[in-house]
Amino acid sequence: MNETVKPKITVMYCINSFVEQAAFHAAFKNDADIAFVKLACSSMVKDVYLLRAFEAGSDAVAVFVCPEGHCRYVEGNLRAGKRIAWVQALLDEIGLGGNRLALHHMSAGDDAGAEKVIKDTLAALEDSGLSPAR
Amino acid sequence: MIVGEQKSLAEIKDLVMPYDKILVLGCGTCVKTCFAGGEDETAVLASALRLAFKTEGRSVRVSEFTVERQCEDEFIQEASQAVKENDCVLSLACGAGVQAIARRFGKTVVLPGVNTTFIGVLEKQGLFTEECAGCGDCKLAIFGAVCPVTRCAKKLLNGPCGGSQNGKCEVNPDTDCAWQLIIHRLETLGQLDNLRTYIPPKDWRTSNAGGPRKLVREDHII
Repeated sequence: MNETVKPKITVMYCINSFVEQAAFHAAFKNDADIAFVKLACSSMVKDVYLLRAFEAGSDAVAVFVCPEGHCRYVEGNLRAGKRIAWVQALLDEIGLGGNRLALHHMSAGDDAGAEKVIKDTLAALEDSGLSPAR
Repeated sequence: MIVGEQKSLAEIKDLVMPYDKILVLGCGTCVKTCFAGGEDETAVLASALRLAFKTEGRSVRVSEFTVERQCEDEFIQEASQAVKENDCVLSLACGAGVQAIARRFGKTVVLPGVNTTFIGVLEKQGLFTEECAGCGDCKLAIFGAVCPVTRCAKKLLNGPCGGSQNGKCEVNPDTDCAWQLIIHRLETLGQLDNLRTYIPPKDWRTSNAGGPRKLVREDHII
């Protein structure tokens, strides 16, 4: 991976699964550019939003959804999961690789879990490299 | 409504390969309802094409526009400027829409991005089923409003074949036997006597077997 360019990661999150805090930004400010997109429910993740995140230069997109069975709107995380699977297949067809997009079940307050997701995503980008569609 | 399915990205990429400025043109009526070519699908396809070309290092401009109906000239006109600015139009309408666009813009390459499949209904969220073959001589009144021409795999008009099991078609066990549906429906309506009506061999000249059809409404022509 190009050492001089920081990877860009977009995190779209359901407000019931994650709370964005300044400390989180500070923890990764030297390693990655992270853009957070707040959603009232993960079901609001539309396929075009995910693709446009890549068009805007993201190297990876992570979507934080509530654990299974814990969606406040009953099936929002299930809908998000189906859409993400569909876009992953499309990203494979595009040639970017579906593994640049991932769904993560998160519980609000689990900052360590969220940090681990970002670290794992950065590690995966070490292998796959920056997005060729940047 | 007319039901269609978007072509694969690989096929679409092959179609648009020779062009540098591509307009993805959506249609906001039937193909919107079946998630093949409405405004959302147009945005997704345009985005996917931009990403694909950028990934390949190609400099191609992909823009998007959606009209209410591609099969009516009044609506098509709204796309004139966008069409003018591009080398080709990738239409996400049904086959009628594609041809209407081509007729309107005689010197523009118009390509189909959707496979038009059938006339059908939304049976439940995400499931579309074929209900009408557009045969041009509707006999639904006899069959309790269940069409054997479309929904019977053998197109039988004078009773069931005898091969169905548990109400399912022997040709495709995922499909309800149309004749089972017809008989149940006629029973419910108290119209079982309809089954005594002999239906002669179907005259297919009213379908597209007789060539392209035309409907003329003199009262609407000035």
